[in-house]
Amino acid sequence: MSMIDIKNVNKFYGQGESSFHVLHDINLSIAEGEFVSIMGQSGSGKSTLINIIGFLDDEFEGKYFYYKHPIHEYTRAQFSKLRNQNVGFVFQNFKLINTLSVGDNVGLPLLYAGEKRQAIKSRVREVLAAVGLSNAGEKKPKNLSGGQQQRVSIARAIVTNPKFLIADEPTGALDSQTSREIMTLFKELNQKNKTTIIMVTHDEKVALQSERIVHILDGRILSDEKVGV
Amino acid sequence: MLFIELLKTSWQSLRVNPKRSFLTMIGIVIGIAAVITIIALGNGVKAKILKELQATNSGKQTTEINYYPNDSNAASQGFTEDDLTQIKNNFSATLSSVKFKRDTKNINNTVFLGNETRTATLSLVKGGNQHYDIDVGRNIAKSDNVINNQVALLNKQLAIKEYGTEENALDSALTVGDDTYKVVGIFTKPTDDYNVDFLLPQRTYLYSTSAQNGSIIKLTFNKGVKVSAASKKIVSFLKKNGSSRKTGSYEYTDMGSLLSGISKVISSLTYFISAIAGISLFIAGIGVMNMMYISVSERTQEIGIRLAVGASARSIMLQFLLEAIMLTVFGGLLGFLIGWGTAALISLALPFKAIVTVSSFLLAFGVSSLVGIVFGLLPAKQAANKNLIDILR
Ligand SMILES: Nc1ncnc2c1ncn2[C@@H]1O[C@H](COP(=O)(O)OP(=O)(O)O)[C@@H](O)[C@H]1O
Ligand SMILES: [Mg+2]
Repeated sequence: MSMIDIKNVNKFYGQGESSFHVLHDINLSIAEGEFVSIMGQSGSGKSTLINIIGFLDDEFEGKYFYYKHPIHEYTRAQFSKLRNQNVGFVFQNFKLINTLSVGDNVGLPLLYAGEKRQAIKSRVREVLAAVGLSNAGEKKPKNLSGGQQQRVSIARAIVTNPKFLIADEPTGALDSQTSREIMTLFKELNQKNKTTIIMVTHDEKVALQSERIVHILDGRILSDEKVGV
Repeated sequence: MLFIELLKTSWQSLRVNPKRSFLTMIGIVIGIAAVITIIALGNGVKAKILKELQATNSGKQTTEINYYPNDSNAASQGFTEDDLTQIKNNFSATLSSVKFKRDTKNINNTVFLGNETRTATLSLVKGGNQHYDIDVGRNIAKSDNVINNQVALLNKQLAIKEYGTEENALDSALTVGDDTYKVVGIFTKPTDDYNVDFLLPQRTYLYSTSAQNGSIIKLTFNKGVKVSAASKKIVSFLKKNGSSRKTGSYEYTDMGSLLSGISKVISSLTYFISAIAGISLFIAGIGVMNMMYISVSERTQEIGIRLAVGASARSIMLQFLLEAIMLTVFGGLLGFLIGWGTAALISLALPFKAIVTVSSFLLAFGVSSLVGIVFGLLPAKQAANKNLIDILR
């Protein structure tokens, strides 16, 4: 079943004379349970696209249907709720709040979902265990290694049981050994939990571990093919 | 997000930077403390004025006139029944009543004892008192007062001086004014107010003619009379016509005008200090605003992360606004306590107590919250309106 349907999406940065056309007539469909990689040169618009897919960017032209809902018509407040309840984010530089403990970072999406402290605590314990960081809840993110911090951000991304994950170069800041571990975690999430994953990466080896690769060049989709076909 | 969680989040953020938070608070603390101090003093003097110029239940006000003898051993107490009658007759338009203010302790009086007329001090007792020991004889009982029994207790020292032994003094006669009392006991080890030559039963004494004098009179005025001016007129009347005008002076202490003088000073100080406090609070508010702007820009990443995981713009705004309000309210409460303490200290040197009321507390709370809201709003809005995509780049 088609989950994400993007139709003729264009994206401009800036306005008027100085406006910059980043995405050109993007059409893309992603079904539930897929594991998709987006590849392309630096500056080709990968992050811009994935931000639109993940409801982070509400300023675009064209149509975006999410389970047939017209997201392009949604207000800013509706986008907040949509993000909170449907999607988890993993970024290259982890994006953890350094003044909060690991546990509080992971529980943050649930806090904004209006959950009670007690419920949040037990759920946080669960997901930290799932990413292999059972004992890190009380620590500050700064005291963890890069790989561990990325695991924390993955725990935060899956804590609400989102429909899909978007990951913008999740292994970009990690060594190859740690990258492999993170990819193993993603594959596990995709195969066991049936979580849809959309991932931007530079690394061919990383991309080959997904099921489908979309190539982008200068804001246009160059190719879109299944891995190993 | 639950409001209580927002509060916790704001509290946590303030604690990350305790020194900065504290320094930002200082202006608020000083402003509020100044206002609370002056208000507490103002309340204090107002309450004191009310008490001093106490109106009777019907709205009538009372004052007192004192008589001070030139020679402190003089027998005359100053006012006689005659003086009262004169005052009554001459000031019937303004006065509702004139009475002696009865002294019951340390009264000077002329007495006749052991063939000799002398000036002696005496105090009045209601009977069964424990403020002294009875060496010989018996104490004055309540029943002595009930039946106006003319009995007296004599000081042990005086008894030995006059009669050689305590026993000899028993049953001797003591004449006060026109009345003769029988000494029924000798007392010793009296406490302060009872360290006098004689003790007499209060009711018996006040009934007797010799009590128809006094050193203080109490004037009750009709409604609407300017009591201070009227009291002064009566004093000048007494200076011309009073029975003891040659041996002493009559004085009216205008407690009312003294206090209203202090009150005037405090009210004009209140305006002055409120103005200064207002400026102090304004500057403190700018400080809060400045700190919040810095905080918002330092925490841009945090804001982005919160927005990305589903925070609404509204909850981001509330988080920062609550931070500002918490800061100023803590400052306000601290200022309230400091102001209270300062007022209490200052009032040690003034003839009244500082009074802090619930409305002072509400004022401190209200003003400090208001400062937080007014000066926290713009930074909070800025935080909420940050562009998520720009932050995440
Ligand atoms: N917020 C922004 N404002 C203006 N230009 C931007 C913004 N974000 C990205 N761009 C520009 O859009 C282009 C695509 O950026 P991006 O999507 O981040 O590329 P990629 O992730 O593929 O490296 C780049 O040229 C970049 O400079
Ligand atoms: Mg990018």
